[in-house]
Amino acid sequence: MTTETQHGSVIVMDRRRGKLRAGQGLLQGLRVVWDHWAGSFRKNDNFSKIHGTFTVEYPEERLPMPQAYRNMPVLLFDDESGHELCTGCYQCQRICPPQVIHITQAKDPVTGKMVPAATEFIIEYDACMSCGFCAEVCPFDSIKMDHVYELSTANRASLTMRKAQLNRSISYYTGIAPGLWAEVQAGAMKKLQGSIKRRPDVIGLAASLTEKIKARRLELAAAAAAAPAAAAVSAPAAPAAPAAKLTPEEKAAKLAAMKAANANKGAAPAPAEAPVALSPADAKAAKLAAIKAANANKGAAPAPAEAPVALSPADAKAAKLAAIKAANAAKQAEAAPVSVETAVATAPLDAKAARLAAIKAANAAKLAAEQGNNE
Amino acid sequence: MLKTEELQINIGPQHPSTHGVFRMLVTVDGETVTDLKPVFGYLHRNHEQIAEVNTYLQNMPYTDRLDYFNAMANNHAYAMAVEKLVGIEVPERAEYIRVLMVELTRILNHAGALGFLINDMGAWQTQLAFGMREREKILDLFESVSGARLMCNYFRFGGVARDLTADFMPRLKDLLVAMPAFIDEMERLLRENEILLQRSEGIGILPKDLALAYSVTGPVLRGSGVAYDIRRAEPYSIYDRLDFDVPVGSVGDVYDRILVRIEEMRQSKRIIEQVIAQLPDAQGGHINPKARQNVRPPVGDVYARVETPKGELGFYLVSDGSSRPYRYKVRAPSFINLTPLGDMCRGYKVADMVVILGSIDIVMGEVDR
Repeated sequence: MTTETQHGSVIVMDRRRGKLRAGQGLLQGLRVVWDHWAGSFRKNDNFSKIHGTFTVEYPEERLPMPQAYRNMPVLLFDDESGHELCTGCYQCQRICPPQVIHITQAKDPVTGKMVPAATEFIIEYDACMSCGFCAEVCPFDSIKMDHVYELSTANRASLTMRKAQLNRSISYYTGIAPGLWAEVQAGAMKKLQGSIKRRPDVIGLAASLTEKIKARRLELAAAAAAAPAAAAVSAPAAPAAPAAKLTPEEKAAKLAAMKAANANKGAAPAPAEAPVALSPADAKAAKLAAIKAANANKGAAPAPAEAPVALSPADAKAAKLAAIKAANAAKQAEAAPVSVETAVATAPLDAKAARLAAIKAANAAKLAAEQGNNE
Repeated sequence: MLKTEELQINIGPQHPSTHGVFRMLVTVDGETVTDLKPVFGYLHRNHEQIAEVNTYLQNMPYTDRLDYFNAMANNHAYAMAVEKLVGIEVPERAEYIRVLMVELTRILNHAGALGFLINDMGAWQTQLAFGMREREKILDLFESVSGARLMCNYFRFGGVARDLTADFMPRLKDLLVAMPAFIDEMERLLRENEILLQRSEGIGILPKDLALAYSVTGPVLRGSGVAYDIRRAEPYSIYDRLDFDVPVGSVGDVYDRILVRIEEMRQSKRIIEQVIAQLPDAQGGHINPKARQNVRPPVGDVYARVETPKGELGFYLVSDGSSRPYRYKVRAPSFINLTPLGDMCRGYKVADMVVILGSIDIVMGEVDR
């Protein structure tokens, strides 16, 4: 019985049995099962066949993943320049439905202005829902979905991925999704060139490369210090004095710089989260310390002029840089009370670290100042 | 005659035949069910409240997790609701791709649902394995186009996220070649199987008037003999251009629901064939280029509904003009279809109760939200 409607009809399902005798229905079903059993010895390599196995022996064999497959987001960097495509624009952080992306935008250490790069980029893989919105929304094609699916671990904390763990080279991505990359390549590379122009020093380089560059710079500095001739070439201002013998002020300045740098290191990741627990007094102390460090540095800076033997220009620069960094950190710490929500859990630790940093910086400054005065 | 006493037992929430974590408070007199109360809420995860904190687009992947068997159909309903609210036009091609995906979803859902139903009857895994095999092929297609097998997150406001890949159509056509063989085979295995007939004929009868009174939708309603299919009753998308039949049952028992589902798979295949034929002529791209994903709908409310494989899925959205929905309500078919379970099970045996529950075809992700 059917009723015609405009595009098709209403069919009442026929419940009548066929002409099978009792038990034959069962046998018919068994035949189906039998066919499948018999077919299971052959391999099914085609969607148009229903018999045969098309399973793969997973850990040994793996199916190729389609290009569009998305599992977890990763960050791309350029193979040639080592620069990351990410500019820290926060688009992915904003769109992320479970809110698992956390970005810290890079700042110029000298001017304090925003730089199109991210100093830290955290994705909590354990809470990520693999929706792919971050990759879709990224205007710089920096964040892409990885194809790695074997991520199980007993340690949940290890699934909070930092930038160094998220970095993948573009060549890696073209390996897994050549077609998708080809669509966006031209635009992405053009935008990357624009970003690179606005990035000072090592900012925006892939994390692994930054470490290498730092190590190499230290090596070079050591080499420069060890070989007077080389030093003379690389730093003509430095006289050919035995650099190994450090004069007190040089030592002091170096120490101050190191301490300030350390303090800065401790404080730097914190500022976004730290402020709530940080009492105004602490912030003030940090600032004061920074100023003192800067002053000490200033005091130390003229020293080379008087005793050029001692302080190589590189060190003076380092000290200055450290002071600026300390000052920035202090400034950030002071300006921070905005982000109230994130702070609660991490605050006590960070506050402590910041205070420690402040004390260290103050001490270093004092030391430097005293020694500068003594000289 | 032995004197018997009524006993109240809990079946579920952790019970393999409750299709997830569903609890039934059953009053039994010996083997006979005298009363049954469905108890919901064990899988409650605050879906609607979370949606009010998210922006409109951010809710799209969450709808995947409602009825995780039919992510595409859920996406469709939600995308339609927001498009209606904002007034976004969907290009023709995008509509065709949407219908294609949703009909594939219907096939894979019924293949799986019938498998689980036969599983509940005791034919452990036989039919389920065959159904899962076809489902797997469809999921491969979904993966190649959307990036994920289950949580597709494929629809966007004004279209779909990505156009079909080059190898999609050949693979789909191969799949359709196998489809009649698969459905016929399923029918051969089930239709006249004496054991299945004993377990399903006359079991769990849901009369027409009761089904209407409970607002049941989907194959359960059609199994009871009401020819109500939203694709036909209130054509959305491009369903008014497509020819397909609406199968209905006559008795309203488990057997009718099985037959209706088998026939619906055939009709879905028919729809897909028409879509494949009409898709090359469709205007526009896979997404409306003018459509903003970051929508800010005007103040107002909207209700949009689609016929998912399980029934009417509707989204009721209230906008207060901001980028987040003020109210987000899901009318989930599994949930509504479950409510007459007590009436359907009364008087049958405990073993039948499991089969009746299986024949409703629920997904707890949608029931509890």
